Amino acid sequence: MIKYCLPFALGTLLLQGCVTSTVDEMVFNEPVEGIGDATVVILGRRHASDYETEPDFIECVGDHISSRDKTITVVDEIEFVNSLYPWFEPRTAPLHPADIERLLEQEPVAERMRELKTEYMIWIDGVTVRSDSAGSMTCGIGPGGAGCFGFGTWSNDSNYEAVIWDFTDRAEVGRVNTTASGQSYMPAVVVPIPIIAPVQGTACDGIGDQLLEFLSSEY
Amino acid sequence: MRSMITAPDNRLFSAVLVLTAMLLAGCGPTHVKVEGNFPAPLMEPVPLKLGVWYPEEFATHEFFDEAKSRRESSWVVNTGDAQVAMWDTLLSGMFSELTHMKGRPSPSQMNQVVDAVLIPSVDELQYAIPQHTNVKVYEIWMRYRFELVTVRGKPIAEWTMSAYGKTPTAFLRSDQAAVNLAAVMALRDAGANFATNFTRVPEVAAWMQSKPARRGAAAATAPGAKASPVNESAGGQAGAERQEDSK
Repeated sequence: MIKYCLPFALGTLLLQGCVTSTVDEMVFNEPVEGIGDATVVILGRRHASDYETEPDFIECVGDHISSRDKTITVVDEIEFVNSLYPWFEPRTAPLHPADIERLLEQEPVAERMRELKTEYMIWIDGVTVRSDSAGSMTCGIGPGGAGCFGFGTWSNDSNYEAVIWDFTDRAEVGRVNTTASGQSYMPAVVVPIPIIAPVQGTACDGIGDQLLEFLSSEY
Repeated sequence: MRSMITAPDNRLFSAVLVLTAMLLAGCGPTHVKVEGNFPAPLMEPVPLKLGVWYPEEFATHEFFDEAKSRRESSWVVNTGDAQVAMWDTLLSGMFSELTHMKGRPSPSQMNQVVDAVLIPSVDELQYAIPQHTNVKVYEIWMRYRFELVTVRGKPIAEWTMSAYGKTPTAFLRSDQAAVNLAAVMALRDAGANFATNFTRVPEVAAWMQSKPARRGAAAATAPGAKASPVNESAGGQAGAERQEDSK
C-alpha cells in the first residue's frame, strides 16, 4: 500500500505551486485557560457589493480550529444564521460590538444566544481573487483519441481579516490579518498537468493558526 | 416470421421518438424553479391577527430574459412557489395569528375576520448575470409593493420595499444553481427587510398607535424601534436606497 501511496504523495507535493503568506495579529484579553464549554461562531461578511467572503473559507477556518483542539466547539455558520434569522443577514448583521447590546434587547434573541453559549463571534472579511492569467491551450478530439497542447498560468491573491468579538464584554478583542499569493501553472502535452498553488488553503491555515492561539489553552 | 421483422422496427421507432423528444427538449427554455429553506423569524410576535392574500401573478411569479419574449427566452425562473413559502413562514412567525384569505378583500367579498390584510406584489425585478456585467456575480434585485387593507378592502397603508440577493460564481456550480441561490438570498433579504421595518412604516405605525391594544407592538419587531415612527421610516428608506445604489 505504502509503495503506491508514497509516489502519489510525493507527486502531489511536487505539483503544488509556491505560495507566499503574511499574517499580522493584534489581540487583547486572551482567554488563558481556553473557552471552557462555551462556543465560537465564525461568520463571513457579505455586505460588500462586489465580493463576498466565501462560505467554504469560513468552513475551512472552523474545521482548522475544531480539528486541532477538540475542546473548542465551532458553531456552523449556516446553522447559526438560520437559528437567528433575520438578525444576521447581510442587511441586518451587527457591524460593531456595541450593536450586540441592541440585538440582545430582544428576549428571543438573548435566549437563543444563551442556548448556543456563544462566547466569541469571529467575523471574517475578505476574498481570494484570480489575476494575471496568461497562456493558451488547445484541446482536440478525433477518431484516434483526444488531447491538449499549450501552457496556462495565473496567480491567486487572498486577503482576509478576522475580527474577534467578545460576546460577554461586547468588545472587540482581536484582529488577525492574512495575505497570501501564489502562481499556478498548467502545462499540457496531450494531458493537462495542473500545478496549483494552494493560496486560499494557506490563508485558511494562517488565520486558523492565529485564532487557535487565541482561543486554545493548548497552543 | 412477420413479428420478427416488425419488432426491431418498433424499437427503432421508439429510439427515434425518444431522440426527437430529447432534441426538442433541448430547444425549449431552461426552467429554474427556485427552491430553498426559509427559517422562521426569531422575534416577539406582533400582536395582530393578520390576513394575507397572494394575488395570482404573485403566487405564480416568474421572470425571463427581458430582451426577449417569454416564448423566445432561453430560460425562465419561477419564483412564485418560493415567494409564497417564504412569506408564509415569515408572516406566521412574525404575527400572533396568520390567516389566508378566501378572496381579495372588498366590500362584496366574504372573508375571515382579521385585524388587517396584507397584499404583497412584485413591482419590479432586475437581474445581472456574469455574461452581462463581466463580474463573476449573479444578482437579483426586487421591489415589492405592499398594501395593508381592512377586511372590506379599505386602504390602511401602502409602501414599497427592496430586496437584493447575490451569489458569486463558483467552481462546479451550474448557472441554474447560482440563479437559484441568488433568488433565495433575495427572498431572505426581503424577509429580513420586512421583519425589521414593518412597524416603522409611518402609516402602519400610526394605525397601530391608534389601536390601544396594539400600542406595545410597534416596539416589538426591531431593535431600536423605540424612536419616532417618522425617523425610523427614514432609516428604512435609507437602507432601501443603499441597496438600490449598490445596483
